Amino acid sequence: MDAFFASVEQRDRPELRGQPVIVGSPPDRRGVVSAASYEARKFGVRSAMPSRTAGRLCPHGVFLRPRMDAYRDESRAVMALLAATGPHVQPVSVDEAYLDWSADHPGTDPEAALLQAVPRARALQTRIHRERGLTASIGIASNKLLAKLGSDFNKPNGLTLIPDRDRAAFLRPLPVRALHGVGAVTEQVLVAAGLRTIGDLQDHPGDLRALVGSWGPTLRQFAHGEDDRALEYGDDIKSISSENTFGTDTEDRPLLRACLREQAEEIAGKLARRSLVARTVQVKVRYSDFTTLTRQFSRDEPVTEAREIYRLACWLLARDKLVHRPLRLLGMGVSGLQEQKIRQLILPW
Amino acid sequence: MKLTIAKDQLLTGLQAVQNVVGSRSTLPILSNVLLRAEGGQLHCTATDLDVTISCAVPANVEIPGTVTLPVKKIVGITRELAANEIEIEVDEKAVAMVRAGASYFKVHGLAADEFPPLQSFQNAKSVTFTQEKLKSMLRKTSFAVSTDETRYVLNGIFFSFKDSKATLVATDGRRLALTDEDAEIAPTSQADFIVPTKAISELNRLLTAGPVEIQFTENLVAFRTTAATEGGTGVLIISKLVDGSYPNYRQVIPQAPQERITLVREELLQALRRAEIMTSDKSNSVKLAFGRNQLVITGNTPEVGEARETLSINYSGKEMAIAFNPTYLMDPLKALTNDEIFFELIDELSPGVVKCNEPFLYVIMPMRMS
Repeated sequence: MDAFFASVEQRDRPELRGQPVIVGSPPDRRGVVSAASYEARKFGVRSAMPSRTAGRLCPHGVFLRPRMDAYRDESRAVMALLAATGPHVQPVSVDEAYLDWSADHPGTDPEAALLQAVPRARALQTRIHRERGLTASIGIASNKLLAKLGSDFNKPNGLTLIPDRDRAAFLRPLPVRALHGVGAVTEQVLVAAGLRTIGDLQDHPGDLRALVGSWGPTLRQFAHGEDDRALEYGDDIKSISSENTFGTDTEDRPLLRACLREQAEEIAGKLARRSLVARTVQVKVRYSDFTTLTRQFSRDEPVTEAREIYRLACWLLARDKLVHRPLRLLGMGVSGLQEQKIRQLILPW
Repeated sequence: MKLTIAKDQLLTGLQAVQNVVGSRSTLPILSNVLLRAEGGQLHCTATDLDVTISCAVPANVEIPGTVTLPVKKIVGITRELAANEIEIEVDEKAVAMVRAGASYFKVHGLAADEFPPLQSFQNAKSVTFTQEKLKSMLRKTSFAVSTDETRYVLNGIFFSFKDSKATLVATDGRRLALTDEDAEIAPTSQADFIVPTKAISELNRLLTAGPVEIQFTENLVAFRTTAATEGGTGVLIISKLVDGSYPNYRQVIPQAPQERITLVREELLQALRRAEIMTSDKSNSVKLAFGRNQLVITGNTPEVGEARETLSINYSGKEMAIAFNPTYLMDPLKALTNDEIFFELIDELSPGVVKCNEPFLYVIMPMRMS
């Protein structure tokens, strides 16, 4: 979906159309931008940017508090339209999903199958716009890596087909950061080695393992547009987390404990609703100077209950003495998730 | 120092203490065993600074003295020697000459005065038991001790000496085992403390027959056994106590059971063992369904299969189905020796209790379908 949260606001409040809409924290408060309309993006506003920065870049921006319930409802409605096209849908976030239509074109030559998908995709785009009043951008390609890049290629309301024979050429000019899995750290490593574009990666004669370790062979495949990741269906979530940024940096123990307790309750509730258990608990702290630390602990016995998550989070913070100066942010998360319909009850300590 | 000693005696002394010697000692001397020859006995001592074990065995002491020797080497040598009588002679540079039959070894040791001194228990409080009784109490509780490093205070057995009663408790947060025995406890010796897991496993290994004196201070405990027979061995186990307060275990003991069911221990254990086969990591529960005069135990894993065990019991209460982790249910059944056990239940989400005709109580939390 294009500028999803901001687009929902502009749809629901016609007076905001054409205005630079910024959904997130107000510019005079701590916090970040969740979404920016295309009008706001012209000023350089991006999601995840601190709201203060956004306020500076776009002083006339219309800052709106997120209405998560409205976005979730909208997401469900759009996902329902996607599901109407076939059974193979993998939602990635509230406003992104992969559709696998390959089963609808059995035996067809891959290039021909991609071409056949174009009118179907156009129809889907039109339907979303007609029924939901929102625009979506679609990428059509032979795998997830390329489809995602294609969808980002020509926003908003874009439709990009990447023919299979053109995939290496399509990728060549893009920065390495565009590849799935290349974050800030990997980008730094690659750029330091003189690899700026995906074309540089394609031409690199050496073993990429020397740069990125065991991920090297996968990175090389990605650089050539090869990706055999299958769609993941259902609630296949990898982790659940919760965090709070404080109004004022704090090391007040009762306050921090109350915050952790609330986060643990929230996480345990999500685990229970999905019949999941976790084997890893993680804590995250950010200090006034933005230094961010995470610590995690894994064990065989699965964790399910809020007080257990809370206890392990406190234990991690104490073990590594993480609260030795005021915190800007405190968070926790669980991962190593596994479906388990039955859970061990624990004694009250 | 010079002595002769029977191979079996030396091996007994060394094997009693060698377990505490860690493979990654930070101090070289902690890889050594302290040998002290004195008054017809050889005292062997080893420590990891948390737990110290000392064992005295009979020896023919010619020249009293002390030395420390690398425990791995001296155990290896003793075990492999062909002759039954061993002579050990140590010079002033802490070099030991070991002779037995046609074998001769020279082993470089370290001076005994570098070895951490034994903690003193002068004026310590004390309670005396028989080793058999203490061992039985440990057997009924030690299986429930937590191995979770994040739950430090549960990594040991809670000892309570109060009002002529000695109580031992162990829990890992999912089940709790408790046993008590009458004991002579002086008013000045009332106390409670937590003995860490490592000391417990050494006790389980080393207790035999005869009396054992338990001495304790604010942060240390000592278990001192006296040989039951002439010429036997006496062992001293000293341990730091777990620093922390034990949770209020009494609050989790259910007071008003709805049902009390008598079960044949061995029969129940066998049925659980079989039902457990069909459980799995993801589906690690067995369901106990109590109906009129029958108990049906099922274990199943989707797409793998299921087990169903039917036991004839004496039951006329309400129908009830409750799920447990089979390991937690079998542990006390394995530790007990009684023919019958009593299973007390309230409902499917409340803790169950296992009891028997001895002072023993086991609280087990059920599993809940989500």
